Amino acid sequence: MTTQTAPAREGAGAPARNRLRALVDTPEVGVVVACAAVFLALALARDTFASAVNLQGMGFDLAQYGLIAIGESLVILTGGIDLSVGALLGTSVILMSWFNVNAGLPAGVAILLTLAIAGLVGLIHGLAVTRLKMPPFVVTLVTYTVAQGVTLAITSGTSIVGISPFFGNVGQTYLAQIPVPLLLFVVVAVVVWFFLERTYAGRQVYAVGGNPEAARLAGIRGDRRIVSMYVTSSLLSAFAGMLVLGRMGVGSASGVGVGWELSAIAAAVIGGVSLTGGQGRILGIVAGTVLLELINNGLTTLQINSDYTNIVLGGVLGLAITADRLRARHVAKRS
Amino acid sequence: MLRAVKKSYGPVTVLDIPELELKRGQITCVVGEILIAGRPLQPGRADHAKSLGVSMVAQEFPLVGRLSVAENLLLGRHTRATANAGALRRALFDRAGTRQEARDLLADVGVDGVDVDRPVEQLPVPLRQMIEIAKAWGNKPLVLILDEPTSSLGPVEAEKVLDLARRHTAAGGAVLFIGHRLDEVRDIADRVVVLRSGRLVADLSPEEASEERMIREMVGSELARGDIAPPASVEARTVLKASGLTAEGLGPVDLELRAGEIVGVAGLMGSGRSRLLHTIMGAQPRTGGEVELGGRPFHPRHPADAVAAGIGLVPEDRKEQSLLLQHPVRWNATLATLRRDSWRGVLTPGGDRERSAKIVKDLGVRLHSQEQPIGSLSGGNQQKVVFGRWLHARPDLLLLDEPTRGVDVGAKAEIYQLIDTAAQNGLAVLAASSELEELLWICHRIVVMAHGRIVADLRREQFSKERIMTAAAGTQPLTASTEAPA
Repeated sequence: MTTQTAPAREGAGAPARNRLRALVDTPEVGVVVACAAVFLALALARDTFASAVNLQGMGFDLAQYGLIAIGESLVILTGGIDLSVGALLGTSVILMSWFNVNAGLPAGVAILLTLAIAGLVGLIHGLAVTRLKMPPFVVTLVTYTVAQGVTLAITSGTSIVGISPFFGNVGQTYLAQIPVPLLLFVVVAVVVWFFLERTYAGRQVYAVGGNPEAARLAGIRGDRRIVSMYVTSSLLSAFAGMLVLGRMGVGSASGVGVGWELSAIAAAVIGGVSLTGGQGRILGIVAGTVLLELINNGLTTLQINSDYTNIVLGGVLGLAITADRLRARHVAKRS
Repeated sequence: MLRAVKKSYGPVTVLDIPELELKRGQITCVVGEILIAGRPLQPGRADHAKSLGVSMVAQEFPLVGRLSVAENLLLGRHTRATANAGALRRALFDRAGTRQEARDLLADVGVDGVDVDRPVEQLPVPLRQMIEIAKAWGNKPLVLILDEPTSSLGPVEAEKVLDLARRHTAAGGAVLFIGHRLDEVRDIADRVVVLRSGRLVADLSPEEASEERMIREMVGSELARGDIAPPASVEARTVLKASGLTAEGLGPVDLELRAGEIVGVAGLMGSGRSRLLHTIMGAQPRTGGEVELGGRPFHPRHPADAVAAGIGLVPEDRKEQSLLLQHPVRWNATLATLRRDSWRGVLTPGGDRERSAKIVKDLGVRLHSQEQPIGSLSGGNQQKVVFGRWLHARPDLLLLDEPTRGVDVGAKAEIYQLIDTAAQNGLAVLAASSELEELLWICHRIVVMAHGRIVADLRREQFSKERIMTAAAGTQPLTASTEAPA
């Protein structure tokens, strides 16, 4: 009996060890473990942290930050950067409420119009980057500035009240205790995962970001992929804007979207997306967003002065990229 | 007398040579398979090695692209005027001195007509290699390490490099020359060290080191070069017909290729070999003339059009133009077939995993797993993946630009075999190479280019090195070519 099971156990042990090694080699493993550790630590430190109300609150946050982090990551994968995601989100909030209240359009039409405008902005980004060979940083910096200006010009600093209840129905409700925006975020994440991992167009996005010339000579029309990623990023910003508007109940520009592009970039980088393009997966991007949200929320739960929040978040970003560098070096040495 | 000790790195032993003595006034050549792409002879610390008098020219060019030729040449050291000056002088950049010394240095290695103020990234690859060599030369090393220094050079420039090596040893220095061109090795070696799978298998004197002997030691089996010849017959069907084809720095070119035919493109550096291939591929805009593919007009505006029409291209620079270095072998193998293998845009296992496994198997790529980054394979195995990428796309015409550059001799033979088999199956091959030997072995026909035009078209029975070199070095055509300044 024992003689029979011994080789069997050995046979089962080798793949298990390989699987463990594959797990260590997975770039996302660090951030996922960090998420779990931070969550556990905070849940043990404060009972209120893991309460349903707090978790639901984090769900709403996660949806709005996560959507733009995904859009941002798609652009970064092509080797670009999109500085406009936050500002465009803010503008979308105002545009939707303005169309809905001031122009008297139904909520659906207001949303579609805003999405169309955002899509157009993304198209302009993509064409400027591919056709005119303008640096993505500069192109989207222009939009960042203009979009903030447009927001201010429309509102003059006031809020737009009296929006359709439809927004609240999407942005504030729960389905089986789970916030609807969180569910929508999960749907988007799954769709993007499928696109990147299971379609040839997704593979081409990696190819273009990893080595544009090799992709071109292999017969890949990289420009199309790049343009469509900028469009997707802008659309996701507007979509996130719709959820934010519904959550707030009024079209307000103050504190919405400003600086969010930086947390989107931070989430992407923490999740293992390479800023030089071509590397990164949806699992990491989502985990990066979750980690930032856990820390953000955790500091509030621990009643730490919010003035210190950015110091901690910056420290985490620094740690994440250092850890990733060390891990990559370790893997490179072994192979 | 110098003594160099080599070591292995990584979990796989890449290089296992207990020690290797380099003698002053001797050119030691290293040939054979080096398992990992890149620098087999990396000193622990570059600056340390430099202070010991070791200077190295790597296979890939570590030049700073944005900096000018002059700044690159004097990178990491001071000009003569500032070397012994006070601290303040040393801290300031000596622009005039840098330019002057750069010009002297280039003249010394025999490169002329280069504007030392131009950024290096604007120069063609062969010229960059010459500048890299000049840079190493400028360090006045005791030991000069040349890692495949001529792989991207035309015959004339290659001869200059070999000359430099001879001059260095004549002046009492030592040279370690890692070479893949056996004729060169035979030409200059005072001693030949053969590696196979990272181990030293033979240490030969120049008399012993015949090409056959070196190949035998490297491959570990008998592979006489007489075995290499193109398929006996060529089909009558015309695959490609170009008439009056022009592009920037190219043409007008007339060219016809039949199914199953292997046509070589020879010529000096800058003669337009790559430009011809890139123009056919649609990677460089055509400015005039007609191209027919399979009897139908063919005018690609993007390489994607060419791929769809049944053309494949193995580009010159593997790292820059072929590979996604950090991504798995699998991704690299299926890059050109992915679209047609996928179902409504969705990847299927058959289109991705199985296809890649098949490519790896068909081409005999040596690896641990198809999930490992392709950058961790040796040059030869990387190139086999690139070949597999295109062979599985089933093209009618395969364009090869330096098909065996940076590839060890064992893999070279395998690649020649692949080309041969593909041609037997009716594939038309247009192969540009700076290695004349290889074209002489594998081609039915060789066209020789000079100044962007075809100046000679030789059938196999007309092949001779002299004839090709004479044509390649031929005088400027009567009408000025587009690349020459008026």
